[in-house]
Amino acid sequence: MKRSHRAVVIGAFALLAAACSSSDDSQPEATSAPADAGTSSSEPPPSEPTEDSSNGEPTGDSTPAADTVPDDGGSGAEVGLGALGLATTTPAGTGEVDSITWGLYRDVQNLDPISAFDYPENTVLALLCEQPLRQTSDGGLVPGLTDVEQPDDLTYVLTVRDGATFWNGDPVTAEDVAFSLGRNIDPNLFSFYGVSYARVGSIEATDERTVTITLTEPDYWFGGVLASTSAWVVQKSFAESAGADFGNPSGRTMCSGSYQLGDWEVGSPLVAERNDAYWDTSVKPLVKSIEFIGTPDPIALSAALQSGDVNGYFAFASLPTLQELKADPSVTVTDGAGYQFDALLLAPREGSPLADVKVRQALSLAIDRQGYVDTVLAGGGQIAKSLAAPGTWGYAREVFEAGYEALPSVDQDLDAARALIADAGVEGKSFTIGLIGEVPPLVAEGAMFQKAAEDLGMTVEIKSYPADQYISLFIDPAARSEVDAWFTVGYGDFADPGALLGVGALPGGNTNFLPYDNPQVTDLLNKSRATKDDVERATLIVEAQAIMMADLPIIPVALPNNTMVTSSDLSGAIPSFAMMFTPWANSLGAR
Amino acid sequence: MKWVRWGAARLARLVASLLISSFVIFSAASLAPGSPLSTFSNGRSLTPEVQERLMQRFHLDDPFFVRYVRWLGGVVRGDFGISIASRDDVSRLLSGRIGITLQLVLFASILIVLIGIGLGVLAGLWPGAADSGVLVITATLAAIPAFVAATLLTIVFVTKLDWLPALGEGKGFADRIKHLTLPAVSLALSSVALVARVTRTAVRDELSREHVQTAESRGIPRGRLIRRHVLRNAAVPITTVSGVTIASLFALSAVVERAFSINGLGSYLVKAAGAKDLAVVQGISMVVVVAFVLINLLVDVLYLVLDPRIRALGNRR
Repeated sequence: MKRSHRAVVIGAFALLAAACSSSDDSQPEATSAPADAGTSSSEPPPSEPTEDSSNGEPTGDSTPAADTVPDDGGSGAEVGLGALGLATTTPAGTGEVDSITWGLYRDVQNLDPISAFDYPENTVLALLCEQPLRQTSDGGLVPGLTDVEQPDDLTYVLTVRDGATFWNGDPVTAEDVAFSLGRNIDPNLFSFYGVSYARVGSIEATDERTVTITLTEPDYWFGGVLASTSAWVVQKSFAESAGADFGNPSGRTMCSGSYQLGDWEVGSPLVAERNDAYWDTSVKPLVKSIEFIGTPDPIALSAALQSGDVNGYFAFASLPTLQELKADPSVTVTDGAGYQFDALLLAPREGSPLADVKVRQALSLAIDRQGYVDTVLAGGGQIAKSLAAPGTWGYAREVFEAGYEALPSVDQDLDAARALIADAGVEGKSFTIGLIGEVPPLVAEGAMFQKAAEDLGMTVEIKSYPADQYISLFIDPAARSEVDAWFTVGYGDFADPGALLGVGALPGGNTNFLPYDNPQVTDLLNKSRATKDDVERATLIVEAQAIMMADLPIIPVALPNNTMVTSSDLSGAIPSFAMMFTPWANSLGAR
Repeated sequence: MKWVRWGAARLARLVASLLISSFVIFSAASLAPGSPLSTFSNGRSLTPEVQERLMQRFHLDDPFFVRYVRWLGGVVRGDFGISIASRDDVSRLLSGRIGITLQLVLFASILIVLIGIGLGVLAGLWPGAADSGVLVITATLAAIPAFVAATLLTIVFVTKLDWLPALGEGKGFADRIKHLTLPAVSLALSSVALVARVTRTAVRDELSREHVQTAESRGIPRGRLIRRHVLRNAAVPITTVSGVTIASLFALSAVVERAFSINGLGSYLVKAAGAKDLAVVQGISMVVVVAFVLINLLVDVLYLVLDPRIRALGNRR
């Protein structure tokens, strides 16, 4: 919950859009049956919002083994995530359950995919609607509502799956898919995700079942876009007749998922009912009805989880009561793989010591990341050597893992930090960090940097913003004239470190405020975006990451886990951050 | 005639206070720093063309007074505009939430009136152990803010005892009462103390009044004496403090609704303010002001019933 404050407040999207798209080569191959792929159930943890949305990608999740098309790990066992040991699945449920209540940090506002960006909407939409491609619990891409082929670098051909139907029984047509994707490039609809479609030239239904997407430049990040928020397919005729009410409780929505929209009144919990006529007959969810309730207060939420009034919750970052919940046998806490990062964004003003790369490196070495993770995140995260958490390694996992391992240590080392700036002449200099004064984790994060700067002979001023104005740091250059740095939690819409890093590293990127412009990094990332082969693409990204993490245009602090809390008599939900985008309750049931 | 004049004057005052409030609410929300467009973009950069289209769509570039008049015209017709965050009519968003807030406030009001006045009368009439007990209890209760009460009650009655649900609203009458019990108690606690204190003092004052002493000396039975001479006269200050206290519950409910995850106007106001969802903030503020004004009107009417002197004064009051 606590995170939620942040998230709410911040509204973080900027990056999302940019980062969202990652496509990978696997798409062409990914024509196979969908059922498994996305559907395995594991529940994702609730999260709080991220402040600015740079899309990070998922942090490590599943099995290292699968870097091609991972099946959805639905079945089962908890999968270790390499060094971090984070889960991407939980053991599939075995018994039917009539109804459960799931907590969200606030109630759902609107179900229109092109304006959905925050945890509550994503958590629900992931059950209701389906994209052309589907993210597996460990970040891979498999066929979803369509099979996808790439006959050449500039063309995606989407073929609607046999027998796919909406909840009302109408067949899903190419028109519906083209309409849903095309809404993102209609300037009058203000899609949050327009940036992800920057390289899309046209989206056309070429026959009853086929959609052809033509790119203006090769874009191997785009596959991820087809498996993320902006690509949820809705029925064209339904959306058109709902008009301006589409997606709200009056107009509602029409999708094709294994759960359908049940009761949803303004001010009442939203209910997702199992869709017993789901077109993919291999998928049979065990839970008949899931009620989603907004629970803004972490104390009440914890009490409700312990008493069984609430049966599950995804704490995208952390809960202040995490340790207490872990000790309670009536609830099960799963440390899911995250796509998120928690970082200090930098926009040094004239004369700020942060403009000096050595100072940034020294500061990064002087902060006590482990202390922050242990206390502020209540242990629900890892210290960050990069912005791309292991959960975001959606393909070529060994390459990314080796690249991450090879990054220099970020354990606190004051001597090394002082040595770095011995000649920099920063003694007595000062810089300003912006944060939201009413969000305790941010205050603690600010204090951590303040302490580190003092240890290095500098001083830090803290400028506190009301939550609703903090966002202006991301979008208003005038607001940035008051600070040199501020905090963000970002994530990617799909598991691709390339798209995620690009948001902070490429000139014009949504969180690149330094401004950072290293031609070598830009070149490597652009090359990776146009590279079809997974391993080659990952290798280029890892090279760029190493340079970027030495230059530190953004100082990574922590990689929050995607913490999932459920009643102990339930199991099977997807605990990794993929739950934001993929049906996470298909295997959820009584333990 | 006097009655008509009183009614007309009261009505004019009511309309005037609503008008002034509406202006203050609208201008305060509009002048607050930060752009409503950031609500829409959620922090992503917007190109100048998109910004311009959005400004037009939400009429953000019209002059202030034009926007105010348009908004007020809508409010009078029950149209509070469109929520940028939810893409839905504010009136629809509010009407779905107002019921639960009214129920919560009503529940808390009943507790305040019954327990607060009951304790106050008890302490006022029976000095000694009862009085000291009530003084200690009310001193403690008065010091507990609603958000602390919510946490304490949750720990005791949900986590430890597991008697009551931690959050939500419940379905059906009995379940609803069960869900609203802890929130209503949290909301009522410190107000109970206030009302009890004022009631105690008012009862004491009346007891020591000359006409009461006289009546007592003339042998009027104590029960009748208390009903006719003490409580009747103490009712005016008690009504005043109860009215003000209950009216303030609408604002206080924000804290309690959030703590117990109740989807009422209060928690929605906090959420909307955080998201800079201006139309919603303005709409809820207006509803709260109207509720406040109506409760005050009710208190005024009660004065008329309770106190013949006020009735005699007519509109000079």
